Amino acid sequence: MTGFLQQVIEGLGAGAIYASLALALVLIYQFTGIVNFAQGELAMFSTYIAWQFTAAGLPFWLALALALAVSFAGGMLIERVVIRPVEGAPELTVVIVTVGLFIFVNAAAGWIWTFLIKDFPNPFPGGALEAGGLSVGYSTLGVLAVVGVVMGLLYLLFQHTKIGLGMRAVAANPASARLVGIRVGWMLALGWGLAATVGAVSGTLVAPLLFLEPNMMGGVLIYAFAAATLGGFDSPGGAVAGGLIVGVAETLAGAYVGFIGSDLKVGVPLVIILFVLLLRPQGLFGRAVVERA
Amino acid sequence: MSERTNERGAFANAGSEPPGEDRTREPAKAADTPPRAGTPSRGRVLAPALARVTPGRRGWIAVAALLAVACYLPFQLVPFRVFQFTMVMVYAVALLGLNLLVGHAGQISLGHGAFFAVGAYTTAIMLDRWDLPHLATLPIAAAVAFALGLAFGLPAVRLRGLYLALVTLAIAIFLVPLLKRFESVTGGSMGLTLAKPAPPAWTGLAEDQWLYFLTLAVAVLAFLLAYGLLRSRVGRALHAVRDNEAAAEVMGVRLPFYKTLAFAWSAMFAGAAGCAYTWVIGFVSPDSFVVTLSITMLAGIVIGGLGSFSGPLLGGLFVMFVPSISQDVNDAAPGVIFGLLIIVVMYVAPTGLAGLAGRVTRSTKNILRKE
Amino acid sequence: MSAEGFLTISDLNAGYGDARVLHGVNLSVGRGEICAILGPNGAGKTTLMRALSGMVWVRGSIGFDGADLARRSPDTIARRGVAHVPEGRGTFMPLTVEENLRLGAFTRRGRGTVEADLERIYTYFPVLKTRLRQVAGSLSGGEQQMLAIGRALMSRPRLLLLDEPSLGLAPLVTRELFRIVRTVNEQERTTVVVVEQNAHLALGIAQQAHVLESGRIVLSGTADRILQDEKVVQSYLGYRV
Repeated sequence: MTGFLQQVIEGLGAGAIYASLALALVLIYQFTGIVNFAQGELAMFSTYIAWQFTAAGLPFWLALALALAVSFAGGMLIERVVIRPVEGAPELTVVIVTVGLFIFVNAAAGWIWTFLIKDFPNPFPGGALEAGGLSVGYSTLGVLAVVGVVMGLLYLLFQHTKIGLGMRAVAANPASARLVGIRVGWMLALGWGLAATVGAVSGTLVAPLLFLEPNMMGGVLIYAFAAATLGGFDSPGGAVAGGLIVGVAETLAGAYVGFIGSDLKVGVPLVIILFVLLLRPQGLFGRAVVERA
Repeated sequence: MSERTNERGAFANAGSEPPGEDRTREPAKAADTPPRAGTPSRGRVLAPALARVTPGRRGWIAVAALLAVACYLPFQLVPFRVFQFTMVMVYAVALLGLNLLVGHAGQISLGHGAFFAVGAYTTAIMLDRWDLPHLATLPIAAAVAFALGLAFGLPAVRLRGLYLALVTLAIAIFLVPLLKRFESVTGGSMGLTLAKPAPPAWTGLAEDQWLYFLTLAVAVLAFLLAYGLLRSRVGRALHAVRDNEAAAEVMGVRLPFYKTLAFAWSAMFAGAAGCAYTWVIGFVSPDSFVVTLSITMLAGIVIGGLGSFSGPLLGGLFVMFVPSISQDVNDAAPGVIFGLLIIVVMYVAPTGLAGLAGRVTRSTKNILRKE
Repeated sequence: MSAEGFLTISDLNAGYGDARVLHGVNLSVGRGEICAILGPNGAGKTTLMRALSGMVWVRGSIGFDGADLARRSPDTIARRGVAHVPEGRGTFMPLTVEENLRLGAFTRRGRGTVEADLERIYTYFPVLKTRLRQVAGSLSGGEQQMLAIGRALMSRPRLLLLDEPSLGLAPLVTRELFRIVRTVNEQERTTVVVVEQNAHLALGIAQQAHVLESGRIVLSGTADRILQDEKVVQSYLGYRV
């Protein structure tokens, strides 16, 4: 039993990371109705920026804050420059553009920082909290806390600020939002900026666990897709819950289903995506969407 | 490579001839155009230039000329170049399938490389275990990929475009560890090394030339098959699916059936290409089929020209030569070029996506929606 | 026709993409007036409203209190004091009733006046006050229309555009809505342009009316005169939604 709980805790730690990237995906989906395939790569790029700041000698948290700020501005810029021209274009076109962005950002990071792996500092102390035979790594606790804080800040932003209300209005009904005087274009850019920032948090959480390299987010992205699909692409809370569930499911499957082991764990998100899409396409917490023809 | 440049021109000309079969399509309906203040007719409508499905009469002459040059080519180039052009044709066959799915049926796949790998591994295993003759592996590899495509296509057809992209991406990512796992059959991470088909003595060809002609034959076969498919009722049904799913359904097109079929065919072409790949390379390993391959293929067909007849060949040239030329500059250069080109192509010349302009986005819908 | 010309539309063409819907529309509305736009389905009434708030392409000029609104974006026009209650009401379905109302005041600053305006809206539409925390999508059609008008009033508009407010509503509810629109107009001197299928109702509260057909104005006059016009009576008044 203790072993099982231990696995669940590990799973939650991994799940929190998936949740953060899923949150970024959901933020953009809500505003634009598109899934940003480049989200993971943007997160990776942000992480490199943070790394660059630490390499320049800045303390970790300052480097992180700067990287988040750059990511926010970068996200807005990308929306204005890259996504704006295809706003209103067919879904397929937009998806392909984000795939193009994926390839470009991945390669650009490789060009700037090479494809060699880099060590990324872990902001959390090593060691673990021991209680009742369970051991919870401080870094796991740290990851969970960070995701919790991000979640809380987003909640405050959306539920208790005017700009958050405006953003929700744009997500709900962009045409009507324009009619009440909201500058929808800027709200969309803001959504991309926020998503890039949340993604950057996710990247800096992943990097210490793996290594920093241009392809590090590829695997995480598929888990984040599973998390967002499971939670519902239009539900930020659902994305977080989905991320935690995916993390736990993956860890348990790896530990207890002999056939899966550690190498086939990446099949778990695939199975989850397929099952959700076939059984409950709107996800656990999502609203049923009217099929857009 | 000056020879190639000429042919590329020839193919481009072929593409711009009037299509053999007239596929007139209505311009996007007025109500579907997102209303944008102050822009009378400019706007989001993707250039309504109709994608050419098949070459016209003069196009066929160009195709014949191209074939003649293609037959002459391997006698003029050094073996390495011959190998490169062989690979161009391998990719072109795979892209033919992707074009069918993305360009003609309007469904997006980020996992085309997985079916390519299925074809490659099916061939490799047949050669490795049962020592089948090379030619016998082609129909089997294509059939296995087709069957798998059908199996995945069945759930996939219930998915909206976006989700199909997710699922296919997940498949592509999952495939690599799966191949590594079944080591006894697939050779695991080490892969399998196989004999390449040997040129029969009567031909007097070197190995690279023989492989080239074998692949050329596969490519010609594949192009003819795709041409036939698109000319048939089925081709029209696919376009109906792409241009407007709802309308297609109303018109009596059995949507799930054709979407599944499009997926399976696309997989079949990928499988056939994978088979040719194994012949040519003589080696398969999981790391040759990572997700990047799938994404590169999508890039290739988008840049080559979605929905166009010459798109797969142009795409094959891109996939082969952009990396080999630009890698000297920087390892990341091919990615930078592909990424930029995809975005630019989607902005300025989304050929083949033209019909998709009929599908409007949420924002437009909300403006026009009557509750 | 009023001389002030608070809203003066001249030679207005508008449409979607390649399709032109309005052909050289001229009309003028005086400050504080209610103006009704009548006409058959597909005449371009809704397009006219969308042209006024920048949702479609426009050629010609839309003079509004000394400024030209033509070719401005919808959000800019909204900031100039034009509130558009679109066909279909434009409700923010997943948001609460109160949030919908507050969005109406999105472009305004000053918390105090917003709270006062909320109270003012509740006096017009008491039912909304009982549903503040409810999700707007759960309201009935009539309540949603009230919410939409309430949202528009929250911006303290100088010009209120109502597009088919009676659509899909019971006659009793519609009558109540029109009574409130008239009250608002009288108490706050808000200029109103209303597009309506139900010509009787619209002419009942309007001073001026224009009949639109195939994108052109075919008849203009005071509400009373239009009401007496045989052609209009036959074409539109006989036909009740």
